[in-house]
Amino acid sequence: MSQQGRKIAAGLAVLVALSGLLVAGCGTGAKLTKGPVHIVVKNAKPVGGVKDITVKKGKPVGFSVTSDVADEIHVHGYNYHKDVKKGGTISFDFPAKIDGNFVIELESRSEQIASLTVEP
Amino acid sequence: MKRRRAAAAVALVTVAAAGIWPAAALAHGLVGRADLPIPPYLFGWAASIVLVVSFIALAALWKQPRLEDARERRIFDMPRMVDPLCGLIGVALFGIAIYAGLDGTKESNQNLLPNLVYVHFWVGFVLASVILGDVFRVFNPWRAIARAVGWVSGRLGIRSPLRREYPEKLGRWPAVAGILGFAWLELVYTQKANPRILVWISIGYAVVQLAAMAVYGVERWTQDGDAFSVYFNLFSRISVFVKRGRTVYLRPLLSGVTDMPLKPGSVALLCAAIGSTTFDGASNGPLWASLNPDLQSFFKTLGASANVKIELAGTVGLAACVAAVGLFYHLGVRGMRTVGRGHTTRELARRFAHTLVPIMFAYALAHYFSLLIYQGQAAGYLASNPLGNGSNLFGTAHWGINYGVISGAGIWYVQVGALIAGHVSGLTLAHDRALTVYQRLRDATRSQYWMLVVMVGFTSLGLWLLSAVRGAG
Repeated sequence: MSQQGRKIAAGLAVLVALSGLLVAGCGTGAKLTKGPVHIVVKNAKPVGGVKDITVKKGKPVGFSVTSDVADEIHVHGYNYHKDVKKGGTISFDFPAKIDGNFVIELESRSEQIASLTVEP
Repeated sequence: MKRRRAAAAVALVTVAAAGIWPAAALAHGLVGRADLPIPPYLFGWAASIVLVVSFIALAALWKQPRLEDARERRIFDMPRMVDPLCGLIGVALFGIAIYAGLDGTKESNQNLLPNLVYVHFWVGFVLASVILGDVFRVFNPWRAIARAVGWVSGRLGIRSPLRREYPEKLGRWPAVAGILGFAWLELVYTQKANPRILVWISIGYAVVQLAAMAVYGVERWTQDGDAFSVYFNLFSRISVFVKRGRTVYLRPLLSGVTDMPLKPGSVALLCAAIGSTTFDGASNGPLWASLNPDLQSFFKTLGASANVKIELAGTVGLAACVAAVGLFYHLGVRGMRTVGRGHTTRELARRFAHTLVPIMFAYALAHYFSLLIYQGQAAGYLASNPLGNGSNLFGTAHWGINYGVISGAGIWYVQVGALIAGHVSGLTLAHDRALTVYQRLRDATRSQYWMLVVMVGFTSLGLWLLSAVRGAG
């Protein structure tokens, strides 16, 4: 092998090592959500930012929303819609049949309040 | 030395970027479901396969070019009616989409226009071209209109008074501008899915194409100027089918890529396409999530309004990704120049540019496959209700999108498979070309170490953009 070839082989070896390290240093992914999730909407925004809900495929998804504005809560992908009254609370309960990442939002305001991740 | 330092910088940025969780974001504006990042174990497997394949490729080199000047075999002649008929279908679809954009609902998911443009047209034709050959050429609505006009005016003996020679220096730069413009529209513009705005952009684009065809001739402009014709034609070169006149020929897979025309702008076009897909991936990732707010607040201090600051930040991101891809390719070619004498960087950059075509396809498929497979189903309900006004022409208006057609893991395998296949194809093309560029086999092989680095770099970047590895720490 030429000198240049050796250099490149060395570079590639470093790359293998690096990717190996990266992979080894990784956990198993996101933490699963435990217990019921309650989202509070104040001034049409989720308190504490967009909530992450992570479940395994096939397991139930459960969360409730209390909002200080009247709107429709829309779970994208699953296409569940429910109206919430001003100051009211509604809850969702459905099996996680589809894997992927889905937005849950205040439909008329296009304001994301939660992110649903269903792991395969 | 300089090059190694650059590589170290890239590695550092990569490592630094790992450590922040990717922000959940919906790509492409229209979708209800976003892909999950490729899990670490799959990333590890894919990266290992890529490296092993690369070493095997170096060991099992062939000594004669196999794809260059490959033979084509005639299969059959298309009936004379096919071309005008497909053109008519193209014009009709374009017309309906424009009508939906002007008169239909503003709800982008329920309007035919945004779905047709971003999903069936932009992504659908990529896949169709790779499988069937240059299908866009026959369905191209503006080419069909221009040809019809040309046929009629030819009969009447009228010649366009505007006719000029196409300036050779212009090369494929109009197409580069078009592709970058479309990428900006799709990935940066905040009103991308608004049917009322998209419709005027579509009409404007068609008018420009028709005017340019009147000046430079239909075929000449289609070949180099119309962004979509040029873009889809590049993908169709991967296909085993090619149509010349009315005759369809069969050729070895990938062999069409070797005849990619080398013109000013050819390299830029590939870098623009790969760079914009890179930005699509990166804009959903952690690096962008951390840079974006700073960029936006910077533009806010300059007095930009809410939407404008988002668009300015996005423009910077898009430009940076295209520039990074171009720079990376250029560095690889610079390295290649040190092998054997008598080749300029410019010459090599153009002679090896075609090796980026499979990489471009791999990136496009990996990023847009789920969009096509899921959002593509919107065609079902939109066919019956193109304006989103409650009509039910074929009784399919109640159809929805079935997100169960392929599992999340299935999408991962397609993404990883596409990237690995693109990598192998790129290497194959590069080796084949090196055999014709370098007289000595030894030089050809040595030059390939550099192309190998380029390919491994692009494939690793592609994997990284799609993986959860970027977010773990």
